[in-house]
Amino acid sequence: MATYTADDDYDFLYKVVLIGDSGVGKSNLLSRFTRNEFSLESKSTIGVEFATRTIHVDDKIVKAQIWDTAGQERYRAITSAYYRGAVGALLVYDVTRHVTFENVERWLKELRDHTDANIVIMLVGNKADLRHLRAVSTEDATVFAEREKTFFMETSALEALNVEDAFTQLLSQIYRVASKKALDVGDDDRSGVPKGQSVNVGSKGDVSEVKKIGCCSS
Amino acid sequence: MERREEEQQKRDDSRFNQTLKNVQGFLKGRSIPGKVLLTRRPDPTPEPISPTYHRSLSENDAGRNERSDNPVEVEDNNSSKKQDNTYAGKLRSNSSSGEQLAKQVQNLKIGGRSSDHARVMKFNKVLSETTVILEKLRELAWSGVPHYMRPDVWRLLLGYAPPNSDRREAVLRRKRLEYLESVGQFYDLPDSERSDDEINMLRQIAVDCPRTVPDVSFFQQAQVQKSLERILYTWAIRHPASGYVQGINDLVTPFLVIFLSEYLEGDVDSWSMSDLSAAKVSDVEADCYWCLTKLLDGMQDHYTFAQPGIQRLVFKLKELVRRIDEPVARHMEEQGLEFLQFAFRWYNCLLIREIPFSLINRLWDTYLAEGDALPDFLVYIYASFLLTWSDELKKLDFQEMVMFLQHLPTQTWTDQELEMVLSRAYMWHSMFNNSPNHLAS
Repeated sequence: MATYTADDDYDFLYKVVLIGDSGVGKSNLLSRFTRNEFSLESKSTIGVEFATRTIHVDDKIVKAQIWDTAGQERYRAITSAYYRGAVGALLVYDVTRHVTFENVERWLKELRDHTDANIVIMLVGNKADLRHLRAVSTEDATVFAEREKTFFMETSALEALNVEDAFTQLLSQIYRVASKKALDVGDDDRSGVPKGQSVNVGSKGDVSEVKKIGCCSS
Repeated sequence: MERREEEQQKRDDSRFNQTLKNVQGFLKGRSIPGKVLLTRRPDPTPEPISPTYHRSLSENDAGRNERSDNPVEVEDNNSSKKQDNTYAGKLRSNSSSGEQLAKQVQNLKIGGRSSDHARVMKFNKVLSETTVILEKLRELAWSGVPHYMRPDVWRLLLGYAPPNSDRREAVLRRKRLEYLESVGQFYDLPDSERSDDEINMLRQIAVDCPRTVPDVSFFQQAQVQKSLERILYTWAIRHPASGYVQGINDLVTPFLVIFLSEYLEGDVDSWSMSDLSAAKVSDVEADCYWCLTKLLDGMQDHYTFAQPGIQRLVFKLKELVRRIDEPVARHMEEQGLEFLQFAFRWYNCLLIREIPFSLINRLWDTYLAEGDALPDFLVYIYASFLLTWSDELKKLDFQEMVMFLQHLPTQTWTDQELEMVLSRAYMWHSMFNNSPNHLAS
């Protein structure tokens, strides 16, 4: 379904954040998805980093602007500023380190405190290639994801396992929510700002916007 | 009160004029292609363009300018251009005349680089005093320290080794012992004796050590990573206001390489930590620990909650860039690019992430020579660094700029490009810091 296309030709621009504990593989998931690269020698992310990729969803071209954040708690004051305007999040833990799964709850709270209630969240258990070191079972994570109403997938950035699917599913879901919102809007004053609509214009880095096709001009 | 400000303003004005005159004098009559021999000027006016420690343009600088008594050869390929005599002209043309100037400074410096015999002699002279005069050492070190002298010079500049040579050995011995005791007290413990926060911090450090300068294979050695872990954890425990913050791991690496160079020969990548006795390893770690401590003492609020010190410097950088290069500042603003999006890492890791590791030592010579003035001078260095790509940036949109700034094309940089950044920072500091009002629009 997803293919690479020219970068500035798109129908929708969605801002997505990558969050989760330090060392779970966020930056490698991003580089695998946006450049098809994996680095064994990657450095810790300081503050935030950024990459984009454009994919097809149905007959539309969707551009994802993905912000990769530092995992250390100390940076949350800095990184949470980048949550603004995000319509999707990949919340990543490391299947070989249970503590990173335990902290998922705090990350969820962090997200819900700083983003729109309709944000689409995908829980991602990364490093699934390290089968002999697994410390978090797929069942536990599935139960958790169902309870918290997030999507869930296990990935391996190293083996390029499910990385494409995780991002594509997230973006497709954002697209669906946005389309539905577009239809609903008008009936429901409390629905807030539809997904995919510009939330604020303070900075281009802060917003997800609709380009070319206005789904619901207000 | 007002009057005093006015007088101060006048003084600043005259200093600024003096700077401009010097800049122009520097560029004038340089149309002769090929090599030009520059020697000490008969003119007693100060030469503020020299990248020595004293950037304040005080009249005393002239006589102490270490470069001026060494004739050096200059390759001059710039034709002299008529210099605009107004500030505005000066500012507008900073990317042409300013760069030419910086190039000239650069060329001057190549002739008199740290390998230069006369320069080594000067260092030897300063270092051999019973009490090292730190101001002299700073002035020399600003332009680069001969590699084999770095361990001694850095320890002195940071105030870790005392200037008095009679006391030096004893003080270092005591400090190294103190470090060893701290490691025993804080690091060599079972987790059961640590608090949850301490366990978390140690875990974070353990996650980061293997990811420290991973492109230099030396840092992949398990023993090197263990040393890093001990230094960082001990530092973090003893500095609870900030604790460990990601990126501080990078800051230890120049110290580790320099202090190991006292014991290990050849290329860094050929070193093996296992060639060293436990006692030597501990001494090296101690030196790293204390030098890191001294370095970060001057930047305490860079790593406390929300990192206000860094936020402040990022703001200052934005202001300075706006004053130096309005078009690029406007372009960045129009594109919605925030300085925090790229400059945060620069300050947090002191540029270690942005340039090749082999150039970091040279950069740190200048950092450490700046001493207490370092945080403010960083603003000038980083403005100079950023505006290296002024032309490129103006052609990029928001996303391209963010990605460009995340992966700056410095892979092929040599000392020369770095010297250029530092020289220009020095020049701008001379011009801007002393007369801020001139540049406010």
